Formats: sequence, structure tokens, C-alpha cells
Amino acid sequence: MSTTLLPEDQALPSHRATRSRETKRYGFFPGCVAKESCKELFNSTMLLADKLGIELIELTAASCCGASVVNDVNRDVARVLNARTYAQAEALGLDDVITICSTCTGHMRAANKELLESEERMDQANAILGKFGAKYNGGVMVRHLLWLLIDDIGLDKLRSMVVRPLNGLKVAPFYGCHIIRPENVNGWESARNPHSLEDVIEALGGEAVDYAGKTRCCGFHIQLEKDGVAANMVGQNMRMAKDHGAEAVITPCPLCHLALDSYQQDAAARWGRTDLPTFHLPQLVAFALGVPAEKLGLNKHLIDPRTVMVERDLIS
Amino acid sequence: MAKIKLDIFRFDEATDTVPHRDVVDVDIPETVTVLDALEHAKAEIDGSISFRRSCRSAICGSCSMNINGVTGLACKTNCKDVVKDDGSIQIDPMPNFQPMKDLVVHMDPFWDKYARLKPYLQPKDKDSEHETERRVSPDDMKKLVDVANCIMCATCYALCPVVSVDPAFAGPAAIAYAYRFIEDVRDGKRDERIAQISEDYLWLCAHCYACSYCPKHVDPNWRIVDVKRAAIKDRVMMNERGPRHALVFAKSVKQLGVLNEADLIQGTIGRFNIVGLTKVMPQAVRMAARGKLPPPFMKPIPKVDEVRTIFDSLEVPVS
Repeated sequence: MSTTLLPEDQALPSHRATRSRETKRYGFFPGCVAKESCKELFNSTMLLADKLGIELIELTAASCCGASVVNDVNRDVARVLNARTYAQAEALGLDDVITICSTCTGHMRAANKELLESEERMDQANAILGKFGAKYNGGVMVRHLLWLLIDDIGLDKLRSMVVRPLNGLKVAPFYGCHIIRPENVNGWESARNPHSLEDVIEALGGEAVDYAGKTRCCGFHIQLEKDGVAANMVGQNMRMAKDHGAEAVITPCPLCHLALDSYQQDAAARWGRTDLPTFHLPQLVAFALGVPAEKLGLNKHLIDPRTVMVERDLIS
Repeated sequence: MAKIKLDIFRFDEATDTVPHRDVVDVDIPETVTVLDALEHAKAEIDGSISFRRSCRSAICGSCSMNINGVTGLACKTNCKDVVKDDGSIQIDPMPNFQPMKDLVVHMDPFWDKYARLKPYLQPKDKDSEHETERRVSPDDMKKLVDVANCIMCATCYALCPVVSVDPAFAGPAAIAYAYRFIEDVRDGKRDERIAQISEDYLWLCAHCYACSYCPKHVDPNWRIVDVKRAAIKDRVMMNERGPRHALVFAKSVKQLGVLNEADLIQGTIGRFNIVGLTKVMPQAVRMAARGKLPPPFMKPIPKVDEVRTIFDSLEVPVS
């Protein structure tokens, strides 16, 4: 029988106090896509961190989290790759690793849970890490920037920092599967009825749109698998958002962003034109907190969000 | 006792062209299940309300339905956990199925996908040629017990976003049940079964984990991953986009430490698949116009040798 490293009454940590929270210095894992095709996400995250007065220390030697796909070839490799990343954070004295991607969040937390729950798996990881002199001691917590905003900054503080309220902009939240499911891996909020994005939208002076598609899948992981399927999943969800009055979408996940931003056009034949612009979470927060719109990379989006921002008198 | 308003989807395919809703007031102990509330409504108020039920204890798998928009077994859902502030509970048939009458749906597509699996043991030799009983070690059995708990309630199938847009997809339950035979040491058709389920779009699973809400904790989401690993281990149907995608992804991470998006697209579709590559061209052009194309050449992360050591230590396949 394997033993657990977690106290019996403690689930996977996502709320515990950390040294990073006290010092406002966090480990930062941007993930592959924020460094490649969604650079605007990385840049606006750094600008937001400045506004929030926190320091995000990028783990520059970290590898890919495995993004659910490497699980398909081997059951252990994602866990050990992430243990290596956590060891790097520990070596820098950081006990809180912040992500900006739903898929990174879910899979890094899953790896951490597996390591913390089983001494056998922790030993297996450390035996491999030992080959290059690294060791993970189990002291890292992985959280999404969205949770940091609510837990460490706080919605009241966030509300008080808003200098450019969103003038009631109707924003549809789109969570991205892996920040909420499986519930026993994430567990920060209810997977069936989450409201963290709604809370942030409202703190920024926007109006959150409620629709069934908000916790559904964007199809990103199968966009190359069979023509049209992912586009239909995007179309279905964006149709629901549009029918409930959405003017724009916000997502904490760059993979969802790529799918929603680029597939609405292809889905129009079956689902009708939706053309909803999609904001990365840090873009919209940074904008409301006063970061100039032209620094947020909004011109990189296929569906230009500046049109609706002009309509709502947010920019001229 | 509590007064609960059951807001029920009503439809009869024999007579109706569009559905309507009936609100039925029931006066019942708040601690009862949604199924109890429906039974009460049918027995005492409106005998025409139709729904499937049998065991009332999460064994038969008959009573899956949408309760306040969430699919699950009515017999395993307590009214007090779901009743809204206004005292109502909204009840609809399972999504992804054609409604037949009220909460009863046509289950045929779901059963058809089971039938295609040949969901029975097919040993290598005939029983008559087999002198002893077919024994399974506790370790081998341990892999199968969870998935053998499947009660075919179709909750996962109703929740699946891929099924909702592409009915050709086998769906979570059928793939989990394929796993049950693929990993059974007594079965003789392992590779044929992997090939069959690959043809039924095993690799079209979107990794969304919606099926992690399984009321019997079969967790089809993890069984789907198990079947994919079996396919790669046995090298079955390796020329499909799914396994190519997984292997190109793994190779990229091993070589660079991170994902090479541009290489992933080419490697998945096929580097010489001109038709396939042409199909993604319009999107590539749109993205390039916004400066969003991923870089074709990428530098490896610092200390990438460590990542390669991890891959080699675990003997991870990358081609």
C-alpha cells in the first residue's frame, strides 16, 4: 500500500497560505501557447502583474505540462516532467506556481495530486530527477491567475482598483474544461456551477452573461482530428452565448482562445454568424485597471475586440 | 414536508410536434430523491407523466435525466440538494438523445455503439479445447472491476460534447467498455477490438472530462486514455491522425522541452498530405495576417537534457 503525504483531512491544496502570498513573489508558468501563438496573453499578464503590485518569476527552464496529450503515450511522463518544474520553483524559494492556461492548471494540479498522494510515485519521480541532481519535496501549490485575483488580491480590492469600468459590457465567461474538471483535481470551485469569472467580470463593471455553454468544451484538443468537429463545438457554445445577449467572451485559457477566436467563422454555416470577440482574462482586467488598450495586443485577435469596445465607449 | 414545484418537460412523439412544460406541485419530505418526487407526482397527480425507472438504488441505470440542467440519476439525487430558491426543480430528458415521451428517450444509438463492440468475452480457444477454468489473477482483475461497475445509464453519453456535434463518435461508455475487454487477459481479440474502437473515433475524445461525472465512478475519461495507450503499445491503426498527434507532441516535448505548434500541425495532418494541409491553410493565412503564426523553428528550453533523461528513463514512445 502506498502512503499519502497529505494530512488526512486535507484535500489537494488550493487555498492554503503560502510564502509567495506573503511576499507577493510567485513562481510563474506561462505554458507553451502564451509563449508562441498567444504572446499577447503573456505580455498582458506581465502588465497586469505590475498593476497588481505582484512579481511573477517565470520558471524559464520549465517544460511543457503535458497538456493531456502526453498521457496518451505514457502514464508517468507528465507527472515527472511537472515534478521537475516544481523542483525548480522550490529551488528558487517559491511555493506557489501561477498558471495562465486552464489546461496547464488542470494537468499540473493532477500531477501534483498524484505525487502528494503516493510516496511510491514521489519516489519514482525523485529517482529520475536525482539523475540530474534535482529533488521535489512536495511543497508547491499550483493555481491559476484567476484564483490569485480572487484569493490574494480580493474582489473588493480589485473593484477599488478599477479606473476604467466596463460600462455594463455583456461578457460571457468561458472557463475551459481543465480549470474546473475533474472536480477532485481542481476543486477550487464547483465545476458544475462555477462563478469566479462572473465575479471578476462584475468587479470590473461588466455584466456577466449566464449560458449553458460556459463550462463546455471548445474542442481545441481535437481540432486536427476530424474536420469540422471542433468548429461545431465552438459554434454551438458561441450561439448560446450570443442568444443570451453576449457582446464578448472572456476566457482564462489560451487554447480556448485560439479555438473561439479562429473557429467562429468556420462554424457560421451551421450556427449562424456569432463573431463574438474573445478576451484573455488578463487583457480585460489589465484594461479596467488602466493599462493602455494598445499595449494589450488586441490587434492580434482574429475577431477584433476593439469594435465592441468603441461601441461601449471604452476606447475611442 | 416541503412543497416542491416539479417543472417537467412534456412531449409525446405520437401526438406532439413541439414540447411544452407542466409544473406539478408535490408535497413531500424534502429528504426524498428526485425519482421519489416524480413517482409521487405520477401516482397522486398526473398518471401520464412518463419516465424510466426500476431499481431506485443506482443499480439499473434507467433513470438518468437532466435535473436543473445537470445530467444524472434521479434516484441518486436528493431534492434538498438541487431545489432552487423558488422551490422548483427543472426536469428534462437526457440531452444527445431523441425524446420519445416526456423524460423517456430513444436509447438506440447508445445501444448500437455497445453492440458494435461485441461486448462479450471472445477467448483465443474454444471452451471445449480448454481443459481448466480460465483464471484471472487479482492484479489483472483489479484493472477491470471499476469499469465493470458501468450500469449503462448513458449519463456520460448525454454529457459528451463531441457526441452532441458528431453522432459518429462512439462516446465515453462504449470506449470504457471496450477497455473492459481489451485489458481482459482471457480475451483473444485485443487488437481487433482496438482497431474497431479506433474506427469508431476513439481519438475524437476532446479530453474535456465531462464524463468524470459518472455516477458509478467508472471514470470513462481515464479509460479512454488507457485504450489510446494500448493502441500505441500494440501499434494498431497508427496511421490515423490521433496517434500521430500524440506521438509528434511527445517528440516535440522530448526534443525542445516545449510544444512546437507549427510542427504539431504538420505532423498530425501528415507532412505530405497536401489536401489535408490545404484545408488548414485558410486559418493559417488568417492567423498569419494577425502575426499569430507560431514560429517554425524553436530553441530548446534550458537544460533540455533533463527532459530527455525523463523520457528515456520512462521509455516513452515518440514515434
